[in-house]
Amino acid sequence: MKKLIRFTLNGHEVSAEVESHRMLLEVLRNTFHLTGTKEGCGQGECGACTVLVDGLSVDSCLYPAFEVEGKSVTTIEGLVEEGSRLHPIQEAFVEHGGIQCGFCTPGMIMSTKALLDENPHPTDDEIKRGISGNLCRCTGYVQIVESIRKAAEKY
Amino acid sequence: MKKFDYYQPESLKEAYGLMEKLNGEARFIAGGTDVIVRIKQGALHPDALISLRRISALKGLGNEDGLSMGSMTLFRDIERDPAIARDYPALGEAASVLANPQVRNVATIGGNLCNAAPSADAAPPLMVLEATLTIEGPGGQREVSIEDFFRGPGETCLEHTEVVTRITIPKKRKGAGMAFLKIGRVAQDIAIANAAALIVVENGVCRKCRLSAGAVAPVPLRLKRIEGIVEGRRIEPDLLDRVAEMVQEDVSPITDVRSTAQYRKTVSGILVQRAIKEALDRAG
Repeated sequence: MKKLIRFTLNGHEVSAEVESHRMLLEVLRNTFHLTGTKEGCGQGECGACTVLVDGLSVDSCLYPAFEVEGKSVTTIEGLVEEGSRLHPIQEAFVEHGGIQCGFCTPGMIMSTKALLDENPHPTDDEIKRGISGNLCRCTGYVQIVESIRKAAEKY
Repeated sequence: MKKFDYYQPESLKEAYGLMEKLNGEARFIAGGTDVIVRIKQGALHPDALISLRRISALKGLGNEDGLSMGSMTLFRDIERDPAIARDYPALGEAASVLANPQVRNVATIGGNLCNAAPSADAAPPLMVLEATLTIEGPGGQREVSIEDFFRGPGETCLEHTEVVTRITIPKKRKGAGMAFLKIGRVAQDIAIANAAALIVVENGVCRKCRLSAGAVAPVPLRLKRIEGIVEGRRIEPDLLDRVAEMVQEDVSPITDVRSTAQYRKTVSGILVQRAIKEALDRAG
């Protein structure tokens, strides 16, 4: 089964013919070549594939592509501001070493965006709960939490 | 991954029609955080999925004469609902520790129940709150108590063509205190064990006790034998010790990657004990 789906991707109206068994992650990476969103476990445990759908963080590896019809999707590529400036969350991660190998980073940053959009001044405990669906195999969590704390100061 | 067709009906009638047309080779899907994973793991092989997300009759949350939730209510919304936090905190607490934010943003209370994991975090609070599930299929509607819903790991009393449409909880009894507790290895873990308690106390004596334990038997348990021991008594340390011992007798856990059976047994007794204490603190 195939269908033409229309949705908003990083602020632009897009459409794509998609097979019914595809997940949003595959459409983002293979159809739109937005490879910032990563596939880690493919089972909703690691959060490397986190994107925002209508502002809420979701694991795109478990999100049926047909369900995105009419919705607004934001990926890590969509955070870059005018003039190719990094988003303040991205800047904070760079400045405070919230990145080791970098594979979990796009997901961590999207979860951070969802967290700070709802709660701009989280406690450390709220930060940890906010990224509880994102795993860092390098275990660089101390710097990640610090980066989020610093990002919150500028939010 | 196995290929499947994906249908998005806008009404229950349309959903039943599709299920009939597909000769039972289809499955209903809610948020998908269990069904999609199981398809990817090769444990499920449906030819088609029938999504319930667009059916407005399955949505909505109301708290007038008791709590009424559409089965497609997101854990995210249960977690943030002020009336649930005030009147049914055990349910709100369970919703706030289920998996992780990304899962709670799509996973639904009906989906959690229909997946029928013995560890389902929504089950213990709904057990102590004596929830009723409304089940509907092409043949009509019926109501089932949450206690009678689960049949085994991954098994419920649902027919293949039926869906859970609503979950209703009777109006909160004045003075009732309740709590939900969970233990896992990390924040987003499936429960090693979970438990809920609801307590009503009058003049120092327990007038009503409802207890439930999860992840320690093939289905989430209502601990009726122990409830009967607590009701009519003062909740004191000796009684709580007896409760913990009795829980260990009533559970039949397994050993798996998350825990040994022995640890589950011990910790389940302690969780029920602590849930009673916490519920007692909030009662009155």
